[in-house]
Amino acid sequence: MSGMIELEEPKAAEHQMRDEIRQISDKVRRRRQLRSTMMVALCAIALCITAVPLFLLLYQLFNRGLPVVLHPGFYTQLPQTPNLITPNATGGISNAIIGTLVLSLYASIMAIPVGVLVGIYLAESDSKLAASLRVIAQTMAGAPSILMGLFAFSFIIRDLHIGFSALAGSFALAVLMLPVIIISSEIAVRGVPNTLREAGLALGAKPHKVSMKIVLPAALTGIVTGIILAISRAIGETAPVLLVIGGGYINSWKPLDPVAAMPLSIYENAKSEWPSLRTEVWGIALVLVVFVFVLSLSARIWASRKQQAR
Amino acid sequence: MDQEFMAQVETKVTAPTETPERGASAMQLKNVAVSFHGRTAVRDCTFNITKNRVTSLIGPSGSGKTTLLRALNRLHDLTPGAKVAGQILLEGTDIYRGDITVTELRTRVGMVFQRPNPFPTMSIYENAVSGLRFNGVKKKALLDEAAETSLKSAALWDSVQNRLKVAASNLSGGEQQRLCIARALAMDPEVLLMDEPTSALDPIATLKIEELMTELKKRVTVIIVTHNMQQAARISDDCAFLLMGEDRAGELIEFDTTEKIFNNPIDPRTLDYTLGRFG
Repeated sequence: MSGMIELEEPKAAEHQMRDEIRQISDKVRRRRQLRSTMMVALCAIALCITAVPLFLLLYQLFNRGLPVVLHPGFYTQLPQTPNLITPNATGGISNAIIGTLVLSLYASIMAIPVGVLVGIYLAESDSKLAASLRVIAQTMAGAPSILMGLFAFSFIIRDLHIGFSALAGSFALAVLMLPVIIISSEIAVRGVPNTLREAGLALGAKPHKVSMKIVLPAALTGIVTGIILAISRAIGETAPVLLVIGGGYINSWKPLDPVAAMPLSIYENAKSEWPSLRTEVWGIALVLVVFVFVLSLSARIWASRKQQAR
Repeated sequence: MDQEFMAQVETKVTAPTETPERGASAMQLKNVAVSFHGRTAVRDCTFNITKNRVTSLIGPSGSGKTTLLRALNRLHDLTPGAKVAGQILLEGTDIYRGDITVTELRTRVGMVFQRPNPFPTMSIYENAVSGLRFNGVKKKALLDEAAETSLKSAALWDSVQNRLKVAASNLSGGEQQRLCIARALAMDPEVLLMDEPTSALDPIATLKIEELMTELKKRVTVIIVTHNMQQAARISDDCAFLLMGEDRAGELIEFDTTEKIFNNPIDPRTLDYTLGRFG
């Protein structure tokens, strides 16, 4: 009989302890719920603080930009300087649109092959050269963009005597794009599982075949995303092209001709004494934003399709 | 090779006696040791791998099975600080010092990995013939034939012949692993290394691959690392038992026919392991 009592005693003590634990945990839970609600509220406030300027910006952009961009002549005509008789004759920005396309095209041709190859090299090699290249790329990525303009000015225009041209501008933009492409390519290539490399090597593939036929295709979506990012950044840059493209008033695709660029047109027009030219900047800005948006959207769609196909 | 040392090794390890039923050696390991940055990972491995048999490497984690296996197709070559000592002979030629290039060696000694790793950007067909393409084969007829033969050998042809252009990642895990086997077989290797090829698969897919191995050994010598002792007992003809030594380096404890290793081993540690007393 005494055995049974011995069995029940610890049971009662256990219950008591369980109740105590529950009481404590109830308190803790209430406190945590309160804290959680507060945190959610803080997050919501932070979101509003972030979102409000963004929406204000977009509102300004469309409100002031839309009337400008709805004129077909805006895209097809060369710019005109208004005069007292026709103060609203601003023409269009065809030269700036073509200029921006030309600049990003030539800059891409220069920067993409070099950037991707260097990125692959950095990911696949652990030599001292690779380590120092990586440091250089990271430093360049953080360098002020006006520096690229100065460099292009002194190198292409002063030293090589090429003159104010699309070539000089796209060179500056290429230098700007290069570190972005290198770093993102390296990250994409490093993300390719090592087992795929080993599988290729185990089939008797030489290391360069493994890089080109296995690693590069597997890293392609990441690499392309990085390229688009670099182009988007370059399209919007004013500083690098400011000193070197010459602000050409013609529609030209030739690399040695001076060209205009949309960010530069915004800068020039905003300084103008003519109100009609100042109004135009919102239109140019809107075109520029749509450019970059379409570019990154198409890259995203392409990447997600590619991902789904796997 | 140091004669005296070899003699020691052979008395310590059960000498791989060339019994009449055993055929010629596909590979011979003589006192093989692998080290990384001077730290030995596995050593004292001396045994012969007989042609057209399945040889399993068993032992607890850290005993150096996979490290040893990867030495057999020189996959350690690209690992910084890795060093392979001793001799590994393929058809009598030392694979580390002979005149075989590493790429040629790897076409002769194929490999299947722990996790199915088909090339994600390639179709089933492209995966099957990828090794041939890497080695410069371009003729369509030849590739087609190799794809069909290898997929048939990997027991995959029937289920994929109508969707050869589909991405390999659409296959199930077991099918992907069989595709990896087909990919290796397309090179027509003499030896096939398998590093725990079923550890990521469900029991049914595992069974299929085990059945496949029995078929495969008619044309290729199989060396398989496995954690699963039942698997080693079911499918292998010969068995090498490795164990981590005092200094955390793996070493060969015993090599013999699987039957002997599981039923009548010489070393008591082998018996303890196969009975599940540790590891």
